[in-house]
Amino acid sequence: MSWEKELEEKVSREKLSENLGGKDRIKKQNDAGLYTIRERIDILTDKSSFNEVGKLAGHAIYNENNDLIDFKGSNFIFGKAKIDGRNIIVGGDDFTLRGGSADASIKEKHLKCEQMALSLQLPLIRIVEGSGGGGSVKTIETSGRANVPEVEGWNLVVESMGTIPRVALGLGSVAGLGAAHLACSHYSVMVKEKSAVFVAGPPVVEQIGQKLSKNELGGYEIQLKSGAVDDAVNTEEEAFDAAKKFLSYLPNSVYQLSDQIISKDDPKRASEWLIEAIPKNIKSVYKIRPIIEDLVDKGSFFEIGKEYGKSIVTGFCRLNGWPIALMASDPYSYGGCWTSDTCKKVQKFVDLAETFHLPVIYLVDCPGFQVGLDAEKKGTIKEGVRAMSAIWQTKTPWMSIIIRNCFGVAGAAHKRGSSYISRFAWPSARWGSLPLEGGIEAAYRSDIENANDPKLELQKITTRLNKLRSPFRSAESFLIEEIIDPRHTRKIMCEFADLSAPLRKTGITSRTMRP
Amino acid sequence: MIYSEVSGTVSEILVSRDQLVEKETDLLIIECMKMLIPVTTKKRGKIINIYVKENDIINEGDKLVDINYDI
Repeated sequence: MSWEKELEEKVSREKLSENLGGKDRIKKQNDAGLYTIRERIDILTDKSSFNEVGKLAGHAIYNENNDLIDFKGSNFIFGKAKIDGRNIIVGGDDFTLRGGSADASIKEKHLKCEQMALSLQLPLIRIVEGSGGGGSVKTIETSGRANVPEVEGWNLVVESMGTIPRVALGLGSVAGLGAAHLACSHYSVMVKEKSAVFVAGPPVVEQIGQKLSKNELGGYEIQLKSGAVDDAVNTEEEAFDAAKKFLSYLPNSVYQLSDQIISKDDPKRASEWLIEAIPKNIKSVYKIRPIIEDLVDKGSFFEIGKEYGKSIVTGFCRLNGWPIALMASDPYSYGGCWTSDTCKKVQKFVDLAETFHLPVIYLVDCPGFQVGLDAEKKGTIKEGVRAMSAIWQTKTPWMSIIIRNCFGVAGAAHKRGSSYISRFAWPSARWGSLPLEGGIEAAYRSDIENANDPKLELQKITTRLNKLRSPFRSAESFLIEEIIDPRHTRKIMCEFADLSAPLRKTGITSRTMRP
Repeated sequence: MIYSEVSGTVSEILVSRDQLVEKETDLLIIECMKMLIPVTTKKRGKIINIYVKENDIINEGDKLVDINYDI
C-alpha cells in the first residue's frame, strides 16, 4: 500500500503546468526580450523560496475514458516566497496563455492571492502583464453569455491598500484590469520601451480615430508624467530591485513598525557647503537632490514618482538608520509652487507615510500654489486643500525645515495645526501671506501713483518692507521656533528620527488610503 | 527634443544653432513664477534647432530645442 502512483500523477501534472503556454509562446515571449512569469518569480525571489499555491489548478482535457490528455495551468501564478530573507506574497500573470486574460484564468486564484497576503499580513508584489485576469472580447464565446461587469474581490484590494504594502510591476503590455492592478498599488514600476499601460490598447483606440503605437499611447513617458505609474527602469531585473528597495523601508503590514538599520554614516556629520547651497539672488534656483543626498544616511534616498508633480520631490530615506518619508520642494519646477499634480502627489505620499507609520520630514521652499489660467483649469485650489487636509489628518511625527520660500495657503501646508510638529528654518528662509515681489504695486498703488517719482517711491517702499521680512523679526514674535545653521541640519534630522522612533504606533489609520 | 516642463516666458537664450554643447549645459532660461529656471541638456550634443526666441510666452510641453546626440 503506497500513494506513490498518485504522487507521480501530481508531479506529472505540475510539470505540465510548468509548460505555461507552450514552447512556441515561451519563445515568442523571450524573443520579445521579456521573461516568462516563472522566470520572473525565479529572479525576483530568494533561491528555492517560492512555495506555489494552486499549481494543479488549470484547464484539463480528458479523452472519452476520462484519462488526462493535456493540461494547461491557469494563467495566474502565485504563492509565498522570500526576498532578502523576508516573507512576501507574489502573484503574476502568464502572458503566454491567452495574454493573461480571464478566459484562461481561474478567478478564485486572484482572490486567494489577495486574501493570503491580507490575512498573513505580508507585502504583496503583483507582476502584471496583459489584461490581468480581466475579460477579452472572446470571453463572451468561451462563457456563452455576456458578463455584467464586476471586479470580484476588489474589497480585498481596497482593504490591503490600508494594511499591507502593495507593489505592482507592469512588465509588458498592460491593459484593462491589469492596468487597474498596476495603478492600485503603493508603488508601481514599468520597464522603458518594453512596457505600455493603457485602459485599452491601440487597436481599440484606433476605433475612436487615434492611430497610436503602444509607446505613444501608454509608454513610460506618458504614464510617469500622468502619475498613473510611479517609476520606470531599463530592465526587468531593475524593476525587481526597485520593488525590493521600496519594501526595505516598510514594515510587513500596518501592525508592525519598520526596523532601524545600523548606519555607518555619522548622525552628527556636518556639511560645510550647505551654508551656500541656497543662492542669495532670490530669482535663482538650486538643485535640491544633492542637498537631500547629503542630509540623509549615505546612499539611502529612494525617490518615488520623479516625473510626476515635479515641484515636490518625494521618497524614502534613512536617518541614523531609521526609515523616514521625505518631501522636498524643487524650485526647478514652477519655482517650487504646488501645481495640481504636485498636490495629488503630496496627498498620496503623506497617506503612504501615515499608513505605514513613517515619520515625515519636509524641506520647504514653496512660494505658493501655481497661479494663472492653466492652474485654475486644473483645479489647483481643490487639489491643494485636499493635500493640506491629508497633512492635517496625519498623526505620524512630522518635521518641517523651511529652507527658502514659504508663502500663501500652499506654504501654510508645511505644518498641521492639529498636533505638534518640529519646525526649523534656515537663515535663507522667507515667508508671508504673499511674496512682496509683484505685490507691492497692487497694495501701495495710490501711494506710488500719487508720488512725484513713482519709480523712486516703489523702491523706497520695497527697501522699507524688505527690512521687515528678515526671519529674525518673525523669530522675535516666536512665529518661527528656531533658525538653524544649515551645516548642522543632518544632526537635527537624525535627532528627530531618534525621537520619533518610539512614538510610532501600529494599527490601521482611521482613514485608510486610496490608491 | 527638449520640451518645456513649465509655462512661462523665455528670459534668455544661451546657445545658438550648430553649437556643440557638453552635458549639463544651460541652454536657455525660462522665467516662471518669478524664478529664473535654466533648461539644461542631459547629454552632450549639437544644437539642430531652437524653436523659441527671447520674450516668447511658452506653455508646458512646448518644443524648445532640438539636439543631435549622435555626434
